[in-house]
Amino acid sequence: MSLFVEDPAYLSKSRLKSDLVAHNVALPPTKSKKEVYVDLHLKHIAHNNAAEFSSDEEDQEEDVADKEEDAEIPDPSCLTDDDLKAALLEHGVKAGPIVASTRALYENKLRRLLQSEGHGCLNGVEKGVLYSDSEEENGEKEDEESGSERAKEETVEQSDQAQQRSSQVESRRSLTTSTDSERELNGSNVQEHWSRSTRLDKPIVDKYTINNQSLYYTPKESPCIRDMKLSQEPVEDMLQEMFPNTEATPTGICATRRRPIKGAAGRPFQYAYPDTPASPTTLERREVERRLVPFQIQILVFVIVACLLYLIYVCVEDYSFSPFVALLDSLDQGSDSEEGPLLQAETQDTPALSGQE
Amino acid sequence: MSSTSQKHKDFVAEPMGEKSVMALAGIGAALGKRLEEKGFDKAYVVLGQFLVLKKDEELFRDWLKDTCGANVKQQGDCYGCLKEWCDAFL
Repeated sequence: MSLFVEDPAYLSKSRLKSDLVAHNVALPPTKSKKEVYVDLHLKHIAHNNAAEFSSDEEDQEEDVADKEEDAEIPDPSCLTDDDLKAALLEHGVKAGPIVASTRALYENKLRRLLQSEGHGCLNGVEKGVLYSDSEEENGEKEDEESGSERAKEETVEQSDQAQQRSSQVESRRSLTTSTDSERELNGSNVQEHWSRSTRLDKPIVDKYTINNQSLYYTPKESPCIRDMKLSQEPVEDMLQEMFPNTEATPTGICATRRRPIKGAAGRPFQYAYPDTPASPTTLERREVERRLVPFQIQILVFVIVACLLYLIYVCVEDYSFSPFVALLDSLDQGSDSEEGPLLQAETQDTPALSGQE
Repeated sequence: MSSTSQKHKDFVAEPMGEKSVMALAGIGAALGKRLEEKGFDKAYVVLGQFLVLKKDEELFRDWLKDTCGANVKQQGDCYGCLKEWCDAFL
């Protein structure tokens, strides 16, 4: 326990800062000395630890806590970020980034995992002691109660056992029930399901141990987890027979993904442009080009107009070019019929004009 | 599957932009104020925390409970709201 007092002095300043933030403590000004951080750390975090330990009133629970800490990794708040992540991974939890805001959560999670492990091991040991004392009585009872529901069975068993056993056994049983209830209070939905499933397993497991008289309870350490798993394999068939409707998920929870909301969640872009993903500008250009006259035809028209204009220019300016003479002749022939009456009109006009002068 | 509230539907219908933290489903005036005091003044900041926790339900619920004292229903609403928003837009 003295570790808690010594550690803050050995931690780096940045580490102390992150610890303070994780425990929602106001940080001192940035340029303050490390001692200030150490003091705050001691004050708040040591205060928290003191509060935790003061709540442990029963001697048995303290012994349990001591046993836990000796056997398992020491308190999570002493670990570095990497150690915490590794510890969580050992318990099968893939942790995300351990940052100031997430650190406290991961520490709590690790604590919960350590507690549940410790309680699980201890329950196994205690039940072994209970059943190894008087197996015949239990065998009779379970044969009678095999027809009833499992929850009732458990409570009836507990009440019968409490009546017939010694006070020591009764206190141990009350401990297990209290730890079970603790577990339920502490855990989230996942853990509640887990505790329920383990409670379901226990009466069945008891049956098997009594019938087979197997060595389920002798090892006290981590093999107790292995034994739980081994005992669950023959037990699973029983469960499936009893509860044929539940699906084979580890927590028994079955959840389907909700269909995403179409109008809101659907990507609007996909529906507006179902074809190749062309940008709006290229599509506009294509439409415009469809309406305009094609390029080559434009050039052709331009060339024709240019030639015509050139011809007209030449006709007006110069008469010497032979190819144009033929053109002019053709034009004159066309214009002779027109100019005839015009000329007559002019000759009539000019004598009129000359007559006036 | 429980039905979702109007607040949930409104939030999930569009990108959150600069919406206040009180626009989140399950977060009312009281919880919103506590979150703002802790520095989570916009919905996207809470989204950031949600993503840093790798969208884990249990961890996010614990964080909400520790930070603003949300009850189980409020935690669930907020988690569901953010999760669906991420499924749609992230």
